[in-house]
Amino acid sequence: MPGTLDYQENGEWPSHITEIRKTRYPIEAYTKGLDAKETQWFGGSAKIRYVYVGFIARRTKDGKHSELHFRIYQPSGQIYKTDALRKILDFSDDYGLGLLEVMGQTGGLIISMDPEKADEAIDVLRSLGTDVGDTGDTFRDFASCVGPALCEYAQYDTLAARDHYMTYEPIYNNLSNQMFPFKVKLKFSGCPMDCSRAAHRADFGFIGMWKGAPDVDENLLKSKIRKEGIKIQNLVQGCPSGAITQDGNSDGIRIDPEKCQKSMNCIRYAFPAIKPGKEKKIALLAGGNIKGRFGPKMAKPVTILDDYKDAEDFIMKIINIWEEDAPHKDRIGDTLVKLGFSKTIDSVKDTLPVEPEGTPSGQKRIINSAVLTDAERERYSVWAKKIMNEYGE
Amino acid sequence: MSTNLAERMKKRLPVPYTDSLPDEIKRNLGRWVDRKFHSNGIIEHISESGEHVFTIKVGGTPNARFSSDTLRKFAGIEDKYGIKALRFTRSGNIEFIADNLENSMMIKSEVEKMGYRTGGWRNSLWSISSCTAYLSCTTAVVDSPSITKVLYDNFGKYFEDEESLPAKLRINVSGCPTACGGLTSDIVVVGHYGDAPSFDPQKIGLCLPRKAEALKVAVPEVVMVCPVKCITAFGKEDGSVGINIDRGKCIACGRCKDVCDYITFDSKKTGISILVGGKSSNTGMGPNLARVLIPWIPANPPNYGELVSVLRKIIDMWKKDGAAGERFADYVRRIGLKSLQETLEIPVTKWNNSDFSESQFGIRQFAQR
Repeated sequence: MPGTLDYQENGEWPSHITEIRKTRYPIEAYTKGLDAKETQWFGGSAKIRYVYVGFIARRTKDGKHSELHFRIYQPSGQIYKTDALRKILDFSDDYGLGLLEVMGQTGGLIISMDPEKADEAIDVLRSLGTDVGDTGDTFRDFASCVGPALCEYAQYDTLAARDHYMTYEPIYNNLSNQMFPFKVKLKFSGCPMDCSRAAHRADFGFIGMWKGAPDVDENLLKSKIRKEGIKIQNLVQGCPSGAITQDGNSDGIRIDPEKCQKSMNCIRYAFPAIKPGKEKKIALLAGGNIKGRFGPKMAKPVTILDDYKDAEDFIMKIINIWEEDAPHKDRIGDTLVKLGFSKTIDSVKDTLPVEPEGTPSGQKRIINSAVLTDAERERYSVWAKKIMNEYGE
Repeated sequence: MSTNLAERMKKRLPVPYTDSLPDEIKRNLGRWVDRKFHSNGIIEHISESGEHVFTIKVGGTPNARFSSDTLRKFAGIEDKYGIKALRFTRSGNIEFIADNLENSMMIKSEVEKMGYRTGGWRNSLWSISSCTAYLSCTTAVVDSPSITKVLYDNFGKYFEDEESLPAKLRINVSGCPTACGGLTSDIVVVGHYGDAPSFDPQKIGLCLPRKAEALKVAVPEVVMVCPVKCITAFGKEDGSVGINIDRGKCIACGRCKDVCDYITFDSKKTGISILVGGKSSNTGMGPNLARVLIPWIPANPPNYGELVSVLRKIIDMWKKDGAAGERFADYVRRIGLKSLQETLEIPVTKWNNSDFSESQFGIRQFAQR
């Protein structure tokens, strides 16, 4: 059996090892980790003058290697003109190791740096029109879906919304301060497909939606039925809310606005004959997170807005309550659980232009790890071996 | 460079976003009225202006790690055939952008020559998203990029081939229970310790106050971070401080180890849990977090045979029994976790006996209007 590193470099899919080998990243540290079956990295330290947020320093347990990486703000939508991208790549070669992680889990662009040049690199990066950010107990890189730049479904300008909140003064002024109990994330999705995961991985999530039923262009739908094989039966059966019925024996449909849950099934099937409704709205949710005291959480409903700007005061007020209450490493969602979600939202409802609405769903704690006895481990092991034998792996 | 270093406190942000857009997109912003799918990850966006823009989705490497060299080659291909702009997707894939189908096909052919694949649209595998693990993380238990590579090697054909699955499929891989890879995907793979921690009774003192007296005024962080309160600190007779860990309560989340290097886990007991039924979109049964199908299988590099076989098994089941257009997550929620476990004869313990509730999340928490 070849070593893990060699094995990882072969195979059909493009390998991260092949990429890393082209760079100055200390691959020995990774190899050692793979051989030892444990990470070799400990927290390290780095000092960059007047920069407190946006970089992460590591050192290996054997003291042989250190690593520093920058988390860099991406433009909303993560679209780069190639000339701008080349400047970032030159930056990565001149001041870093020539290795990038194009989409970190935070949404930032991650570049492995040369620690010796990090201080100087900050100014160069700033001259390229971006900066390091989104680490530690502060506002992280906000995320938006691609929205109006490349999507037909966007109900509002998610990219402008992200820009707006990044530059909104009370938020902008805090981007360099790690003064919160933990991180804060905002995410903006243009439609119920929620490509930015606003319903889960954001302390404050915005999801574009509409009032009532989707918008049906009857003539276009008839033409699609005739020419493209769209079937009324599929629309009716495909609707998870059971909101669609055939209109008599005609080629028309009725969508019950009371039942429609904005599942997007009919829209995706028959677009653009069926489109999101004309009365555009933005759902505001709060308290979602993956990393928090009470485990991963889905966000809960706050209210439905006409304008993304309408949540500014609400967000800052909730952050105030959280700062007062929360011990270190509790997320906003943890605080809302402790204080009572609906009660807390109700207590700040004067920050919103409309009444809170919606009923938060309960959610059982998700534990994705386990403490097993040796006997239990053996049972699972035997089971897995059985499946393996079935496939002859 | 900057004369006043304190200026660095004011972050320079890449705003407005319109500065980053190529003209073809900027002038059609918010004006897209129709879309068409072409083979293998090529999607055409049609503007009310009559202009067309094509995106070509290219699968990323595990943990989206790219050398500047490869990205520069991508930029070269894009400059030759596209509209000189690339997009990084949320799952670490890369979209090339062109203004006609012929050039889109050229881009596809050029990136394939480099060994990359295009696809990941409609009824196929959209992404296997991985956290960073042994590449730079301090809390990783297993190496998620290696696992991701192995999964892509085995299931990459579902990314490339159109209409190869009943519906879209996403897989997330995380190296530890913090699950930075995410829980809102159809299949979730999480590395974990599989056992309660122990500690070096001498060195643990370095994570505790030196004197028992101090416990009266503050709770040590290693105690405080435990989400199930299974760690307690106590004063010893000599006035120093010790801890107890209640194995019966512990969930092996590893948060104590995050804050104290002298908490140790037995590496022989580490493994992988497999969760199913998560997704973020409001389609089908709506968004939800994945639930534990099986709490532990061995993590055996380099080929992770157990994991690959189990995923092959459940994907095959879905291919056979899933309705057309039904995502894996919706399939699992329809038949129920319990039923899936019975069919597969998976041993059930308290760690994997929590089925999906009827609860609806996302915008479904608002009354229909």
